[in-house]
Amino acid sequence: MKKFDYLFLNKLLVLLFSGVLSAQVLADTWYDDIAVHGFATQDFFHTSDNNVYGESDDGISPGLTEIGLNLSYQPFDRLNLSVQGLYRRAGKVDGGVVRLDYGVADLNLLKFENGQFGIRGGRIKIPFGLYNETRDVAFTNPTIILPQGIYFDRSRSLLVSADGGSLYADYSTEYGDIGFKFNLGMPLGDNEEILSTILGPSASGDFEANPAFATQLNYELNGGEYVFAVSYMNLKLDYKPSANDTLGEGSTKIRPLLFSAQYNGEKFGLTAEYLYRWNHYSDYDAFPDFSFVSESWYVQGSYRFLPSLQGIVRYDTFSSDIDDRSGKRAQASGLPAHMAYAKDWMAGLRWDITSSWMIRAEYHRVHGTAWLAHSDNLDSSATKQDWNLYALQLSYRF
Amino acid sequence: MEAIVFIVFLCNMFFSAAYATEIVVNSSVPEYKVSLNKARAIFTMRQRFWPNGKRIKVFTLADNHPHHQMFTKNNLHMFPHQLRRVWDRIVFSGIGQVPMVVSSEEEMLAKVANTPNAIGYLSSEFKNEKVRLFISQ
Repeated sequence: MKKFDYLFLNKLLVLLFSGVLSAQVLADTWYDDIAVHGFATQDFFHTSDNNVYGESDDGISPGLTEIGLNLSYQPFDRLNLSVQGLYRRAGKVDGGVVRLDYGVADLNLLKFENGQFGIRGGRIKIPFGLYNETRDVAFTNPTIILPQGIYFDRSRSLLVSADGGSLYADYSTEYGDIGFKFNLGMPLGDNEEILSTILGPSASGDFEANPAFATQLNYELNGGEYVFAVSYMNLKLDYKPSANDTLGEGSTKIRPLLFSAQYNGEKFGLTAEYLYRWNHYSDYDAFPDFSFVSESWYVQGSYRFLPSLQGIVRYDTFSSDIDDRSGKRAQASGLPAHMAYAKDWMAGLRWDITSSWMIRAEYHRVHGTAWLAHSDNLDSSATKQDWNLYALQLSYRF
Repeated sequence: MEAIVFIVFLCNMFFSAAYATEIVVNSSVPEYKVSLNKARAIFTMRQRFWPNGKRIKVFTLADNHPHHQMFTKNNLHMFPHQLRRVWDRIVFSGIGQVPMVVSSEEEMLAKVANTPNAIGYLSSEFKNEKVRLFISQ
């Protein structure tokens, strides 16, 4: 670990503890209608080849830190206001700044015996699959690294939250609970990592996001023993070329459709999600318009040996183009073929030491480099197809 | 009225396991019939209002408290980790509030007694005219 990291961690700990202390003082002294919660997570990574969250190749990188503090307040029975600040530092992708993660005014418009209907406005988390809305909160995730074929970390800023509005409805029946969300807003995606994910590492212009919609329908049985969901999003990014760009003012449309199913038993848990994503590139001039479909799915099993000790195993696979699963197109453009896919076997162990502290460790055997962040691996030709990843996580919540 | 409720409660105690947990409410809560589904909807924060339009105030013990585990299994037919999953999604995605955690059964009784529209659960017999049983059927 470099000196910089030590200094940084020190600063971070001071920040964290002062944040937690002042939040708990607030929680104790403020009125009952205000709730304060938060979390802090530090991850460590080691890889046999390729870098994740900093320089993990043949070393240990403390490159992922996430600290969140949220506050929610009910000024009236039907109105709930909530905000969450998030500090995030992730390798060379995210330099470590505090952002407004969400800031929501939730107005309950209609309530009846078995359901409700309402609107939300502000900066709203995007509903997508089982984990997206709380993807930065370690306690809510099944593993340290979420299945990357669906919950891409490198393009997360398109997926975390959007500025706009949302309609929601809930309905409970004797045969399960139904929930619906429809969000319309401006995604926050504007970083270089998204540009490189979509147009390759050499694109030099900028992306501008358009208003996008995200919708989710879910059905839960027995208070969440069985969970089923369908999520769909429609994103459009406009490319603004740089001065000497070979690319024209093109645009890229991305439309992911995601099916989710989960069983949460007393000891045994089983989760599967399947992603089918349409991609359409038009008006880039340098190449003819084209479309392709990306696909990803995973199956994940977990078992609680004790209420506080859980083991987990998962297989996760991603193909960026289902008509080119071996990566011939990447190869033709001078990039390694293994950038077109990734298959990941993982196993991990989680220990909830108390209800506030959690530690876990996991091992991944990965075949392919489709979800590696470009910022951490600037020379794509130096990346390896088969590699090992070890991760350790310590997390606190209140 | 309280006497009858108390007798019902005693009968309950006698006929069920020695430490059965019971759902209790503040006396301001309107009386109405509740199913298992309704009780679940309240504790998973899907139902946020009483029939009289007042916002429900939910109290629970910590996840690892033995009476919380008993309550989740016996009264909601769920597991503590299922409730935790639901509550965490609410708190960390900014879509509402979750139950307030109390540290003991004494605090639970005090909170339910002194908070209008409150609901919680208790495992031992209680004597407080501001608290009554919330019987699910």
